[in-house]
Amino acid sequence: MFKNEEMEINLGPQHPSTHGVLRVKLRLDGETVTHCRPMIGYLHRGVEKICENQSFFQGQVWTDRMDYCSAVANNLGWAEANEKLLGITVPRRAQYIRTLLNEFNRIASHLIWLGTHAMDIGALTVFLYAFREREDVLDINEAFCGSRLTTTAFRIGGLREDLPPGFEKMVRKFLAKFSDCLDEYEALLTENRIWKKRTIGVAKLSAEDAIALGVTGPMLRAAGVAYDIRKAFPYAAYAEMDFEVPTRTEADTYARYEVRMAEMRQSARIIQQCMDGMPEGPVMAKLPKILRSEVNEVYHATESPKGEIGYYLVGEKGSLNPYRFHVRAPGFINLQSLPKMAEGGLIADVVAAIGSLDIVLGEIDR
Amino acid sequence: MNKFLRTLIPTDIAKGLSVTGKHFGQVFFTANRRKVPFHIVGEYPEVPAKVQPRYRGRLTLLKDEQGEIKCVCCLACEKICPTQVITIEKGKMEGRKMPFPVRYDFEMERCIFCEFCVESCGFDSIILNHQFELAAYNREDFSLGTKGTAQNMFELSPVGKYSVAED
Repeated sequence: MFKNEEMEINLGPQHPSTHGVLRVKLRLDGETVTHCRPMIGYLHRGVEKICENQSFFQGQVWTDRMDYCSAVANNLGWAEANEKLLGITVPRRAQYIRTLLNEFNRIASHLIWLGTHAMDIGALTVFLYAFREREDVLDINEAFCGSRLTTTAFRIGGLREDLPPGFEKMVRKFLAKFSDCLDEYEALLTENRIWKKRTIGVAKLSAEDAIALGVTGPMLRAAGVAYDIRKAFPYAAYAEMDFEVPTRTEADTYARYEVRMAEMRQSARIIQQCMDGMPEGPVMAKLPKILRSEVNEVYHATESPKGEIGYYLVGEKGSLNPYRFHVRAPGFINLQSLPKMAEGGLIADVVAAIGSLDIVLGEIDR
Repeated sequence: MNKFLRTLIPTDIAKGLSVTGKHFGQVFFTANRRKVPFHIVGEYPEVPAKVQPRYRGRLTLLKDEQGEIKCVCCLACEKICPTQVITIEKGKMEGRKMPFPVRYDFEMERCIFCEFCVESCGFDSIILNHQFELAAYNREDFSLGTKGTAQNMFELSPVGKYSVAED
């Protein structure tokens, strides 16, 4: 009377919990996922190819539009990769301001993750509180570079302008209240029994699997590997900053939540140090009129909020634009771990797994 | 036993509810809601929205004191634009030494508001204004130029003209 067979369904591409246009092909045995394959490419714009046809200066606007939740971190990677290629040293004050804005961006990105991830699982209130603080970070972005989301914050060789008047006051005001705000989110989630039931032990990814798949960022640190490019290969002004790399060993969704919450506190610490120890001086290095590449190829990796974002640039010596441009997008590589996390679990936990990945499809498809 | 008590008495739920309750109470029992910490109030369409001084809005051509266009057609902005939205046609005007833009076309629909054009301009003849409501009903309304009354490069765009703070 009853047939017993596997069912194949699509999760997405218009599903609200897939964070954009991700389609996941699922094969279900009852409620258990037996097979899971993410399908991507709905947002492909050919960013890499476009950048090959534009000058070094112009390429930066496309990096904003890859991972639009952490545009400043992308800008930083792009600017530093180009500086390596073109042989430019950036003034110390510019490095500090870059570090400061990058950490603000990490907070904004983690807040958007916290809000949407909690909403996917069912805690709606956190979303409203997280976006309230994110608004302040976006205001700081707007005060510095004139745009809230697509920042185009940095220039090759430094910054376009110095900090605007009143910037320090904005930052201090934010720092004064941010710790209380984090306590508020944690009061809503950390001990909540529903949150714990939905996250503890869900979507496990062991350290061996994570390393084998090339997973980086908070996903890897939640598995107990303390790999952070800010510490391992310091860039910008991170070598002078005092901060910790939070890790957990549980490797489940709850551990990733804890790691990201701890990271936000560390970011606030770095911002405090940047603001206190801000050196004086110019913000732009002396540049030649026309930017020509000095070396043949360069790979530069930085720690974006999602993981290691690497820019690979090939420029023939003396050329005006990159001959080849490639981005190692953290979201793209982290997404590979979804089958490993979801297969064998329940279909409701696929949503938790996607949420804990913290993916942005603009970056995955590029 | 301790775990059993914790399951029985929902302290975790109470803790969460106290956060939302605190915010609700602060707003509910205060006469002036603007003074409530963490509470964001905006009466946006009625009260013009304030943007930061560096805000990147729509591209605007500037005129000097005599009412002449400052642009001298060096084409720096045309070259630097990542999306090629600016088209300039050089021309001559009587009584003016510098070249004069006969046409300065700006395709706003493709503009990404990066401010590279303003940065490249050596004559301070263009700025990005503070207008952010740039919607229009027709596609032609996004093609801005030096001529025409409704859509030109000197004044604010008609939609949202009245909700931009003047500063």
